[in-house]
Amino acid sequence: MEHNINKHISGRFNQELENVRNHVLSMGGLVEQQLNSALDAVSNGDAELARKVRENDYKVNAMEVNIDEECTRIIARRQPAASDLRLVVAIAKTIADLERIGDEAKRIAKVALDSLTKDQQYLFVSIESMGRLVSKMLHDVLDAFARMDVQKAFEVHKEDDKVDREYEVITRQIMTYMMEDPRSIPKIMNLVWSVRSLERIGDRCQNISEYIIYFVNGKDIRHTSQEDIEKSL
Amino acid sequence: MITVAPQVTQSSTSLKLDLDNLSTEQTALEIKNLDLYYGEKQALSSVNMNIPKGQVTAFIGPSGCGKSTLLRCINRMNDLVDSCRIEGEILLHGQNIYDKKVDVAALRRNVGMVFQRPNPFPKSIYENVVYGLRLQGIKEKRKLDEVVERSLRGAALWDEVKDRLHDSAFGLSGGQQQRLVIARSIAIEPEVLLLDEPTSALDPISTLVIEELINDLKNKFTVVIVTHNMQQAARVSDQTAFMYMGELIEYSDTNTLFTTPTKKKTEDYITGRYG
Repeated sequence: MEHNINKHISGRFNQELENVRNHVLSMGGLVEQQLNSALDAVSNGDAELARKVRENDYKVNAMEVNIDEECTRIIARRQPAASDLRLVVAIAKTIADLERIGDEAKRIAKVALDSLTKDQQYLFVSIESMGRLVSKMLHDVLDAFARMDVQKAFEVHKEDDKVDREYEVITRQIMTYMMEDPRSIPKIMNLVWSVRSLERIGDRCQNISEYIIYFVNGKDIRHTSQEDIEKSL
Repeated sequence: MITVAPQVTQSSTSLKLDLDNLSTEQTALEIKNLDLYYGEKQALSSVNMNIPKGQVTAFIGPSGCGKSTLLRCINRMNDLVDSCRIEGEILLHGQNIYDKKVDVAALRRNVGMVFQRPNPFPKSIYENVVYGLRLQGIKEKRKLDEVVERSLRGAALWDEVKDRLHDSAFGLSGGQQQRLVIARSIAIEPEVLLLDEPTSALDPISTLVIEELINDLKNKFTVVIVTHNMQQAARVSDQTAFMYMGELIEYSDTNTLFTTPTKKKTEDYITGRYG
């Protein structure tokens, strides 16, 4: 069934749904920017940029609160049903995940504020590649959200496996490093957290892809194996 | 530590009936290939549905879609329309209510109906409730008193009127009158109660009282309700049937119909889009 949100008898309802969707997209854009800046700050050791990322997090939070309010208002005043209801629910959940991605970006930026020694810097290289992977996932899932594209959402869903694999590899690297030089552990911990953050962002992108599929197909595919999801699409 | 697994999913699925394959005990009414014509015009075309016992089934759809017509078929109210011709069957206890042998008065005792506008008789509250019993020739005062109290309690009206049972029914508010009419219908203990837009003439609070009442009624009766108010159908019913231009488009449990309808027409109607 195709979903065209622009066909309500009530023009104002159209407008409200359109607005809230656009706000999610701009929130997504901001979160994406935060993540990329955080990753840049880490790889360039740019403390200034890192501070900016940490300062800007309040904007993401404010957007979440605003969009949440919009959703509540739509539910109260319009009593949406069927695909409209699923859209509002999907949005309310998506922005919660986006806000958490914003928090993770903030945590990643913190690493750039630590002064790591040259021989620790090589660990960044693997973080960069994982960062690129996760950043692309976020970009793609936002793109899938903008188009409400189920296929694309499913592609993102599958990407998370790669992120999980990278996470394991890097964790192992870091553990080896810590065993070799236990005195480095206090400093390295932030690095561990940021790798963990990237892994969590992957999971949250996966969540968002699930909400997209829920909105479009009306199927709740959470906690379902990839094969079963593929069959149901 | 959690020792008992949450039952949420289990209970919600067990409530969901397989409407195409209801067992005899679960079925109140079976509508089979029902066609209805007003003169040349076909108002219902091959409607097939099973209405489960002890549940609330709602008919929704735009004006003129045939939902009231279908409801009126269930107690043969359409017999009163001269040009009306009906083909197909409606089975109550496995017997076709359109069979020639069926006593229509008996059928209507078994299938009560409440209309859009409250229509109490110009009599006292008490006499309104016992009207059906008096017609049946019941005179014993103790029996009548008992039925009045039980029916008015059943219609959530007893506490409001118990001190003025012999006042005129016209002194009641619209919402109270509608509950009185419901009390009158349930006094003769029908199996099925048909409600034709029972709250469309009432204020929001009376509406909520009636909706609450509908929920209580389903423990004892099978309720079939026609409503223009989609949210009302969503609130009160267990099953919802969406009708459009004389056809049954989609019929499923209310949760499914209002979150993930399968037909485009249903989706468009319940979300308020152009058809």
